[in-house]
Amino acid sequence: MADGDVLLEVRDVSERLGNHQVLAKLTFDVRDRVRPGKVTGQLVALLGPSGVGKTRLLRLIAGLDRPDTGVVLGPKSQPIASGTVGVVFQNYILLRHRTVMGNLVTAGVANGMARGEARDKSSHLLERFGLADRGSYYPAQLSGGQRQRVAIAQQLVHQKTLLLMDEPFSGLDPAALDDVIKLIVEVAHMDELNTVIIVTHDIRAAMLVSDTLLMLGRDRAPDGKPIPGAHIQDSYNMVERGMAWRTDLELDPKFPALEREIKDRFRTL
Amino acid sequence: MAVPVAVKNALLPNRQVDRRVALALVAFWIAIAFLLWLAVPFATLPKPGEVWSALGSMWWQHGMGPELFTTLGLIADALLRTVIISLILSYATVIAALRPVVEAVSKLRFLGLTGLVVPFTLFFGGGHDLKVAMLTFGMTTFFVTSMAQVVMDIPREQFDHMRVLGAGELRILWEVVIRGTLDKALEIMRQNLAIGWALITMVEGISRAEGGLGALILNQNKHFRLAEVYAILLVILVVGLVLDYAIGLVGRVICPYAELERVRR
Repeated sequence: MADGDVLLEVRDVSERLGNHQVLAKLTFDVRDRVRPGKVTGQLVALLGPSGVGKTRLLRLIAGLDRPDTGVVLGPKSQPIASGTVGVVFQNYILLRHRTVMGNLVTAGVANGMARGEARDKSSHLLERFGLADRGSYYPAQLSGGQRQRVAIAQQLVHQKTLLLMDEPFSGLDPAALDDVIKLIVEVAHMDELNTVIIVTHDIRAAMLVSDTLLMLGRDRAPDGKPIPGAHIQDSYNMVERGMAWRTDLELDPKFPALEREIKDRFRTL
Repeated sequence: MAVPVAVKNALLPNRQVDRRVALALVAFWIAIAFLLWLAVPFATLPKPGEVWSALGSMWWQHGMGPELFTTLGLIADALLRTVIISLILSYATVIAALRPVVEAVSKLRFLGLTGLVVPFTLFFGGGHDLKVAMLTFGMTTFFVTSMAQVVMDIPREQFDHMRVLGAGELRILWEVVIRGTLDKALEIMRQNLAIGWALITMVEGISRAEGGLGALILNQNKHFRLAEVYAILLVILVVGLVLDYAIGLVGRVICPYAELERVRR
């Protein structure tokens, strides 16, 4: 792959739920980011107000639902291969009857890996995510942050090039938020072709973590009422603005200015 | 005089008490019940000493031990069949085409057992088979009702979670539906054992040739031997409680996560 090659293409996607048009002609793509000498994955934040259809879009990209019209394609405009998309759900779903290690091994075996191979990969991931001493714990014994890390690790046992995360920042205290941002950045940059799409309404965290911000929202009628059918209203290229891949971003005077701009735009979605 | 905190907590609403206090409360109420039993003046309620003496006589001279094992064999047979039939039917609710069948089986719980004695006798021919069939029917209708609801209540996200992990539908059935609800299946089995145990005297009375505690109690009823009747009831109660505890213990060993979730709540 080369810089700018399309890794994910969502084209003209529409979806209705009953009589309600949720998404209409939604189009965007994710392109390969390349930095010489550095493994650089892609980090896209999908911002939008509650109820606008972010999770519906996530389900369509994950292949859990089919759009009424339009397509979701992977690299080289090919359909996304089964088992290559991971999803970390909002409430960090795990198999409650399996230990942490059991959850990870099951994920690998479910994807066709040999049990021994899945166990080796799981041990490596638990080590990497600081959970090596939690392998024999059940999900009920974990804190919220530990559950989230296990849920992410579970998705990585089998190689996923596209990882979707639904509201990974909700309910976190500032210290935990920093940890999650670091973890997501680490996961994204594990492989050049990795793409992490974060669905969130936390503007600040989205800015800190992503290289691209997409604003999902509905058009407004002249009287100010939203017109059903959300689509991408705006896109912010954080790389072009010199605001991606930085640990000191919050100290940059451009940061609060852009945050205000995005907040103002958010209110109109 | 200051009232100890433990006593205060035991008497005020919405308070928690520690295990020692909880055990003391149980002992207290058992003692109260025993004292009431001693004090009740009705001649129809034999005194504890009479029941104890009747229990010894029933056990050593009237073969209560073998009768108890007959009853235990009957309930074990019926419970095994109930569990197999009910779990198959409950897990089948994941297939839309089979849901009406499961729903229909669940509704049969309103029939009651008494009216079914004749058709079941004609079908199963009486004796052990009839008793097993009656008990299995009685427990299955309730088991299916509870277990099918457990399966229907599994959140969609759990199926989606396994799908995005790449699991096929059969593996999803195993992990989410069967393994994921095992603790609840054991709990429902525990409840249904209690239902079956409560039905046992009635069912054993239908065909007394095989014996069992039900037949034994009906024979004592006939001769109005009240102390013996209460002695058998006491055995039924104690054995029922032991079975209930044993299944609970098995559940805690097989599904330790369920206990952890309870502690967390």
